[in-house]
Amino acid sequence: MPDLLHNARVSRGQFLRMMGGLAAAGFVTACSTRPETTASTGGGQSTTELKFIGVADQKAPMDELVAAYQKVRPTVRLTTSYAPTDQVQTSIRTQLGAGNAPDLHVVFPGSGSAMSMSEIAGAGLLADLSGQAWTRTIPEGFKPAFQAGGKTYMYSAGSSVIGAVYNKKAFEKAGIEAPPTTWSEFLAVCDKLKKAGLVPIALGAQTPWVTQLITYALVPSTVYAKDPTFDDKQLAGQASFADSGWRQAMEMYLELQKRGFFNDKPNGTTFEQQTSMVATGKAGMAIQVSAVLPDFRKAASSPDDLSMFPVPGADDAASVWIPAGVVVGLGAGAKGKNVEEAKAFVDFLGKQENINAWAKAIAAIPLTQDASSTIDAAVQSFLPFTKDRAVPFMDQRWPNAEVQPVHFAVIQELLAGDATIDDALKKMDEAYKK
Amino acid sequence: MTVLTAFRSRARATGRRVSADTPSWLFAAPALVVYALVVLYPAVSGMVYAFTDWSGIGEDRSFVGLANFGTLLGDEQAMGSIGNTILLTVAVVAVQNGVGLLLALGVNAKLKSRGLLRVIFFAPVVVSPVMVAFLWKYLFNPDPSAGLNGLLGLEVDWLGDPSVALWSIAGMVVWQYAGYSMVIFLAGLEGVPKELYEAAMIDGAGTWQRFRYVTWPLLAPAVTINLMLSTIGGLKLFDQVFAATNGGPGYATETLSTVLYKQAFVFGKFGYSTAIALVLALFVAAVSLVQVYYLRGREVTA
Repeated sequence: MPDLLHNARVSRGQFLRMMGGLAAAGFVTACSTRPETTASTGGGQSTTELKFIGVADQKAPMDELVAAYQKVRPTVRLTTSYAPTDQVQTSIRTQLGAGNAPDLHVVFPGSGSAMSMSEIAGAGLLADLSGQAWTRTIPEGFKPAFQAGGKTYMYSAGSSVIGAVYNKKAFEKAGIEAPPTTWSEFLAVCDKLKKAGLVPIALGAQTPWVTQLITYALVPSTVYAKDPTFDDKQLAGQASFADSGWRQAMEMYLELQKRGFFNDKPNGTTFEQQTSMVATGKAGMAIQVSAVLPDFRKAASSPDDLSMFPVPGADDAASVWIPAGVVVGLGAGAKGKNVEEAKAFVDFLGKQENINAWAKAIAAIPLTQDASSTIDAAVQSFLPFTKDRAVPFMDQRWPNAEVQPVHFAVIQELLAGDATIDDALKKMDEAYKK
Repeated sequence: MTVLTAFRSRARATGRRVSADTPSWLFAAPALVVYALVVLYPAVSGMVYAFTDWSGIGEDRSFVGLANFGTLLGDEQAMGSIGNTILLTVAVVAVQNGVGLLLALGVNAKLKSRGLLRVIFFAPVVVSPVMVAFLWKYLFNPDPSAGLNGLLGLEVDWLGDPSVALWSIAGMVVWQYAGYSMVIFLAGLEGVPKELYEAAMIDGAGTWQRFRYVTWPLLAPAVTINLMLSTIGGLKLFDQVFAATNGGPGYATETLSTVLYKQAFVFGKFGYSTAIALVLALFVAAVSLVQVYYLRGREVTA
């Protein structure tokens, strides 16, 4: 150290002043919040900069629609960034807490998650979108996902369904002519696939959110077909997981495992491995949400090999119900500097042609439909159900964010043989009451 | 240090009445100010939330006293995670330092390729822990023909079997950080005087005896640092667990860090999460203090 100082011919005083200056400069930079969201372009016209943070599934439709918006409103520049759900949840909640949330950000429908519409709107951090034309056409059954206290706080382009993503070639190979329409037929189909040397159902339960999909696929038939008002009763404390069709759904889940219809070691298998098993025809099907169809198609040699059918959770085809949930949406921050511009973008997304474009990019069923709406061929078989035999994804009506992670954990414990259905339902009921 | 000694001796030589210890604090002042602003102030102001029920967003919060700490005592999941945290820490500390020491002794020998080997063993340390976890998830594929199973001819459900998952994560952490322990042990080995080995050889000591009575006692400072760093690292392990299993299957690999993360960012209980963080911080501090006190006591110099 002394040599260094001498050689550089800097006195101790100069050195300290230099260091102090550097520290001060660093400190000032770190503290500045860069307030200039409105920058001037070369032409003298001012540009408004908007920032959007979303989950990875939103990238494809947003890329397309942000580019389209650029043409309609050249004075607004929207920068976007995406990350997996966990990371987004962490960073946006931190920003919301610190009061510097992005102008537009991902919002999950209904309640039941830390980034859900009702949670964030409840904290007064989402702008009211009720004045926008598209909000008046939200179908009645979907309103709880979009609205809190009668006001609309979230935009979403439509709904997705949970069902079996299947490999047509694998089904052909096993001699299966048509998708099953009852639970017994479903078991028979699995049996045929197994006899043909294939894994009937690929299950990637190592990825937590994948664990819930089989119960979600069955519960509409075992719970809601019998009592469509189950959610309201449960909220009022008159119904519970333990004393409902949830028990039957879990028994059916474990029956599939007992009969050897899942791949070996589902708890160690990831979503990516599950996807590739079905896409390559090693497995016949996977119970999945239609929003990930593009992932399966990307992994397949030909995208046409894959299609979907509703999982029949009952032995009477007429009492088979399906889960159809509003897809993850977005909202405008209430505290931003450019709330009006942010809301204008949401209004743009609410136009029918943009709802169509967004829905198409993620194989969803458009929120509202016109002549130019297209519905992915793979989800056509779900349409007869969507009118009066469909229920939103269960977590969208759960009162807190703890039930869903408990559901993930107990399914993994059940698959590992470490818990009983009684334990599992008890834990879920406890979390529900928190 | 040289600057300080020079300064002190000059101060003494010129006869100014400056106590030998006073100037050192002045020199530390700029650093302390920055440390206080960047670390202490945010940490202390964050601690306040441990006594509130803040959800992490919005203005709505009220003071709840020690209620969060009471909840922690009755929280089965958080208490269970303490057991996992300790098991994981013990496994990582023992194996990582054992392997690190063996690697250090190996690459300290007069090998032609030792420079290259040092680089290879250290390389995983510089990779982001999350990347390491994602890579290992491929190696931990349960398929008997893929990944580690394929390589070793095993059929282990590495991350899916609740009784194996924690050890799989420990293995992953050891793979990444054994090189780090190795480097510290290497530095320790460089400090062992050659004359002592020569003297020991003349006295007829074999390889094991030279290690036991010369190398090992003189490595004590390196052992102290390694044990302390790996214990602290183990107790607050988060990235690898989060990326590899997210606490699953079930709650089998949940550590205190993943529990406190989930409370804050998944369940929206920021106040409670801060209380857990506070307990974790105090626990880590207590363990390291005891460890340093004990280990320092057995250090010797050549």
